[in-house]
Amino acid sequence: MRIISALCMRNIRLFLRNRVQLVLILIMPFFYLYLLSTIFKSTDISDPTNYVLSGIIIIVVFQTSLNIAASTIDDMVSGYMKEVLVSPAKRIQIVIGQILSSTIIATFQGILIMIVGCFIGLRYGSIFTPLAVIVSMIFVGLVFSAFGLFLATSVKNSQTFQITSVAVTTPITFLCGVYVPLSLLPNGLQYIAFLNPMTYAASFFRALSLEKLSLPLNELISDQLAFKAGNLIITPQISFFVILLFGILFLILSTVTFTRVDFSKMNRTQMSKDIYNQ
Amino acid sequence: MNNIITVKNFTKTYGTFKAVDNVSFEVESGSIFAFLGPNGAGKSTTINTLCTILDKTSGTLMIDGKEIGQNKDYIRSVIGVVFQEQTLDVKMTVEENLKMHCHFYRVAKSVINERIDFVLHLVDLTKWKKAMVNSLSGGMKRRVEIARSLLHLPKVLFLDEPTTGLDPQTRANIWDYIVKLQKEKGITIFLTTHYMDEAEISDKVAVMDYGKIIAFDHPAVLKKQYTRDKAMISSIVPEQLNDLLLQHDLTYAKENNRFIIEVNDLSKLTAIISEHQLSITDMEVRKGTLNDVFLEITGKNIRE
Repeated sequence: MRIISALCMRNIRLFLRNRVQLVLILIMPFFYLYLLSTIFKSTDISDPTNYVLSGIIIIVVFQTSLNIAASTIDDMVSGYMKEVLVSPAKRIQIVIGQILSSTIIATFQGILIMIVGCFIGLRYGSIFTPLAVIVSMIFVGLVFSAFGLFLATSVKNSQTFQITSVAVTTPITFLCGVYVPLSLLPNGLQYIAFLNPMTYAASFFRALSLEKLSLPLNELISDQLAFKAGNLIITPQISFFVILLFGILFLILSTVTFTRVDFSKMNRTQMSKDIYNQ
Repeated sequence: MNNIITVKNFTKTYGTFKAVDNVSFEVESGSIFAFLGPNGAGKSTTINTLCTILDKTSGTLMIDGKEIGQNKDYIRSVIGVVFQEQTLDVKMTVEENLKMHCHFYRVAKSVINERIDFVLHLVDLTKWKKAMVNSLSGGMKRRVEIARSLLHLPKVLFLDEPTTGLDPQTRANIWDYIVKLQKEKGITIFLTTHYMDEAEISDKVAVMDYGKIIAFDHPAVLKKQYTRDKAMISSIVPEQLNDLLLQHDLTYAKENNRFIIEVNDLSKLTAIISEHQLSITDMEVRKGTLNDVFLEITGKNIRE
């Protein structure tokens, strides 16, 4: 427990030390909110501001958890991970420490945007909704932290990692219905969106956040909280189970990969991108 | 004295390439042991296997009486490691780096601050405790790494090319700290280096090349066994010096009018020098080095 909490504290300290990043984190989502609200007004969605804001919160949680977990590759490339791995700390403790810290940071960012969002019209009908929203942020954070750690430990070369990271995160970000409504995507891209785990995370999170989990199916579809994948209608509840399965899969994969990877073969060429100084 | 490290028939292969080939040696507790050899000789592979970073292909490796393969956690708790490459967290302060190490090695929380002050004092970095690591020079970073490796009071300290990339003055300082450590704390020091002079401080040297140990003993013994002392003399009357050398049954080579004489014992030259001293215009005497040992055994310089 001591090793896990030490790793968490270290990553959180690194995150908080970057003041410019903290300010940008708060500004950027509202820039997107302004931009996207205009796009989403052209759809049938009843409350576009809240709809977009809840999408932005979950995409920030996704990006942050993925990036912070993937910053493990910085520690590998800088050599610091070698110091960690030669210590009596077990690799599973390191995996848990890295995943938990990125989840905590991602959730913290999500909560910050949620709080500022309340000043510009984000409303919850029940006092339990914000708590449920925070719990689901933690859940999505854990899922994508595991995914990020898996990416970092699977790609041993830092240059390859940068390319892979962009190649993986760009479609996940733009083909999940947060920035561009799924109904506006061309047919081909819609099919790709169905393979995107973030589509399911965004769908569930939005329905929960907008307190519309119990809406009838036709209203869920018209509000783009449920969607059709062929003949199957994906409700937010089904989305939850899809993302749960995805999370369990990558939690296992990242743990197995991290405990088996030979860090002595890491390419130690310095990365130009610093995840904490973006 | 008992052996703290025992290596028997250790082999490490990567595919078909044998990085270390059937190597055996022992390291006495409290001694300084040096692994000497050119880049790619297998030194780092051996040290990485002893530090539990790599798995052996075959053989037996033991530290403090425990087989490495089956006791990784124990081995990790009794060794300190300073790697060839820098492994500090450059985004954190010196103190934060040291504290993280204490957590990883489960140093009792009540002694962490005291231990940090102690190791920083040891490497003369007390006033840099709050400094960010990326603001330190290369030599200071290396000293922080040495300090960090001592926080959990290891029985063996592994130093893999600890002075690579450092300027000569910093290199000398680092070695002063290392010798001080060994003398004051009695820690066993296992180091690898490709700098000849750095291996001179050790109690035992293993010279390695192409994955095999080609010589193993005290530096002085190796030099005595494999090298000869060399005198280079210039004279204004070379004919007279020539006759003198022949009288004393000493052979020589001539290079740019200089007589190059190799002897097992420099005292043999004393009589000649005193007899010929008024005619000598220049003289240089060089003792055998570990590089000469390497040259003698392998036919090439160690840096090649």
